[in-house]
Amino acid sequence: MTTDPRLEWLDDPVTRRQVLRGALGGAVVLGAGGVLGACGGDDNGGGGGGGGGTPAESGGKLKTGGLLRVGATGGGAKDTIDAHRPTADTDIMRCWNLYECLAVRTPDFSKLEMLVAESIESGKTTKEWDIRLKQGVTFHNGKPVTADDVIFSIRRIMDPKDPKVGAASIGYIAEKKLKKLDDRTVRVTLEFANAAFPDDIGQYFNAIVPTDYDPENPVGTGPFKYVSFTPGQQSEFEKYADYHEDGKPYVDKLTIIGFPSVTARVNALLGGQVDAIDNLPAAQLQSVKSNPNLRVISSKTGAWQPFTMRVDQAPFDDVRVRQAFRLIVDREQMVQQVLSGEGRIANDLYAPYDPAYADDLPQREQDLEQAKSLLKQAGREGLSVELVTAEVFQGIVEAAQVFAQQAKGAGVDVKVRKVDSGTFYGDNYLKWTFAQDFWATRVYLTQVAQGDLPESPFNETHWKDPKFVDLIQQARAEVDEGKRADILHEAQEMQYEQGGYIIQYFSNIIDAHSAKLGGFVEAKCGFPFGNYWFKNIGFLA
Amino acid sequence: MRKLIWRRLALGLLTLWLISLIVFAAVLALPGDAATAILGREATPDRVAALRDQLNLNDSVISQYLQWIGGVLTGSFGESAATQQPVSELLSERVGNSLFLVLVASAVAIPLSIALGVWMAMRRDRAVDHVASTTTLVLAALPEFVIGIGLVLLFATSVFHWFPAVSLLAPGQRAWEVPDVVVLPAATLVLAVTPYISRIMRGSTIEVLESEYVTMARLKGLSERTVIWRHAVPNAIVPAIQVAALQLAWMAGGIVVVEFVFSYPGIGAALVDAVANQDMPVVQTVTMLAAGVYVLMNLIADLATILVTPKLRTAAR
Repeated sequence: MTTDPRLEWLDDPVTRRQVLRGALGGAVVLGAGGVLGACGGDDNGGGGGGGGGTPAESGGKLKTGGLLRVGATGGGAKDTIDAHRPTADTDIMRCWNLYECLAVRTPDFSKLEMLVAESIESGKTTKEWDIRLKQGVTFHNGKPVTADDVIFSIRRIMDPKDPKVGAASIGYIAEKKLKKLDDRTVRVTLEFANAAFPDDIGQYFNAIVPTDYDPENPVGTGPFKYVSFTPGQQSEFEKYADYHEDGKPYVDKLTIIGFPSVTARVNALLGGQVDAIDNLPAAQLQSVKSNPNLRVISSKTGAWQPFTMRVDQAPFDDVRVRQAFRLIVDREQMVQQVLSGEGRIANDLYAPYDPAYADDLPQREQDLEQAKSLLKQAGREGLSVELVTAEVFQGIVEAAQVFAQQAKGAGVDVKVRKVDSGTFYGDNYLKWTFAQDFWATRVYLTQVAQGDLPESPFNETHWKDPKFVDLIQQARAEVDEGKRADILHEAQEMQYEQGGYIIQYFSNIIDAHSAKLGGFVEAKCGFPFGNYWFKNIGFLA
Repeated sequence: MRKLIWRRLALGLLTLWLISLIVFAAVLALPGDAATAILGREATPDRVAALRDQLNLNDSVISQYLQWIGGVLTGSFGESAATQQPVSELLSERVGNSLFLVLVASAVAIPLSIALGVWMAMRRDRAVDHVASTTTLVLAALPEFVIGIGLVLLFATSVFHWFPAVSLLAPGQRAWEVPDVVVLPAATLVLAVTPYISRIMRGSTIEVLESEYVTMARLKGLSERTVIWRHAVPNAIVPAIQVAALQLAWMAGGIVVVEFVFSYPGIGAALVDAVANQDMPVVQTVTMLAAGVYVLMNLIADLATILVTPKLRTAAR
């Protein structure tokens, strides 16, 4: 009675996390000298509208007022409104609207937009950084943001007794050396030089909260302030009138409703009970598109769902086997069959929106003859491997099955072992020989820190090449953008030739909304509704 | 009679205790634990360790169980692993919502299916009987989520827009304050249980209608109405009571699927979520509630059978 197998049929394949924790990050965009000026540079709290995207995309002028109801993916008893513990889509959506971090990648991923900070500047080296706060940014209780709040927030995230989500991204801050220079300036010293610091700290889970922060009555600096929160049901917010970006948000009230069932989420939109939903399954695309009252936005993102080969375990400890496996994939077919065409083929490299992305490397295509010959050289003809998969993200299991099919062409027997997410994230998590994962859009260095260094929290391929580590350290310390790009190109070539990831595609994110709404833009950041920024959304006049 | 009730209640408690053991073992048998289930992809060793500490998952299995059962005996169902909230607080509103759903559904389903059964029996082997029989058979064969989605398509999203497609409640709002949200989930449950009760009612009514005392009653010249409702139905209803009770008991579990389809904020949806989180105290409490309803319904059905069967009523004294 409790474990009706029919539920699986209905269940969203992605209850756990449609959107990864990840997101933005990475650096490399710092100007010479590592100076990141405030966007627009005005201190009066205007912020100049930032890179939030122009409402032009979905046409029409927006009026102020109204209640915006959004259907989010998942949601349940473990929902949280804590600024530093977001895991599921609903949590992340709340975080983006209730809180803000120092800076964040714009939805089009072109630059790091300053939010609470006015600037994040490095000193002579990229080991020391000064965070200067904007004037006139206030918490929802009216208190202005000060240096003390920044220090408190960083300490709260890093707390070794209770590390929060962001601990893995800024764990290299020398916590004891955090220093308040004046009310609006904090000096941060790092354990090592890192040009990627602004992007690392500029992620949604590193929000700035006040020193007397209480998650029971949460206060932030975001465009919406807290009204109520019921885990597994809905949360209500209202416009923060003193929000530091003039004229925003447009709507007066925001309600976020979680839907564990994808069917219910789509039905709620079709029935007019919500105004917008995220993560529309590709299978439902046509039925929603054909409805004159609804609009669909499909965003090309840098989100990737790789196959992960452990480079320190047989058979993948032989680089020729890894190369062969990368040649097995028919990427175009994967995009068509798994994503229903809603994606773009990839080239075994991540961070496509990073300015240093190595797009000059030749596109890898299926070459079964070459794959066979590599396997033969490696003495691995007739290889049989187990691929561990779980329904932790849309399309992952299907991708595994398509891969197994394609591998037959090279004489490789891939046994797909589908486990439940409890097993997947259980004792063998990050230790599987051949498995899969999912990641959001990031810039290169931030992604490397998450998954490709010996100390990375999610190094699932066990990639620990000393030469690679050395290149990354050089790049982090390099203040000249051009020189850094050269170093990063070399690092990417290494991954392209020898890495443990098979990155077959970047998947799109599809959102759907009522035709009465405007302000939506196609985004590259890999978050629904472009950074979930409901401050840019309003009802059409 | 009183002795029988006490004995059955004691047996019921024993059943519940055994179920609590089985559910506990089943949740333990799931791979991973609450910490890895809650953290999911974020399950880095540091965070798992911190959360395990916080949730007392490092205690021995036996001590975890004793802690839980000790709490239940003193009237506390423990704290949810996912929210750190007392389970009773977490579930109180949801229990009310689910109960309301089941009550509405059974208040419609039982009279409806008894009437339908009698009606079919009276038109036995006529075209309408065949149509009704086939329809109920088809409905019985359809899984309830298919029925639910069909109703949504018909009455909420595609054809008519009469009722809400999903049952959303604002915080603090209870289902009976917005009866709209109950219509489609309740209709799904009604359509799921009506076939069983009405078919058994049809069968037993036909049997009774063929009996000699009904023929006698007709020969006496009683109106058909009196024959059916005064003489036939009271005797035909016994098997239907048993089946109805079983169906009500089934609903205690069947709402899991229906609540999930409609995002109805009841204990069924909470259970699906709690299993995903391996949230032991919540899983235990919800299954105890469902099992308790099951035990109670069976007891009530037996008592009702005794009450409407003179032979048993006198024997049990």
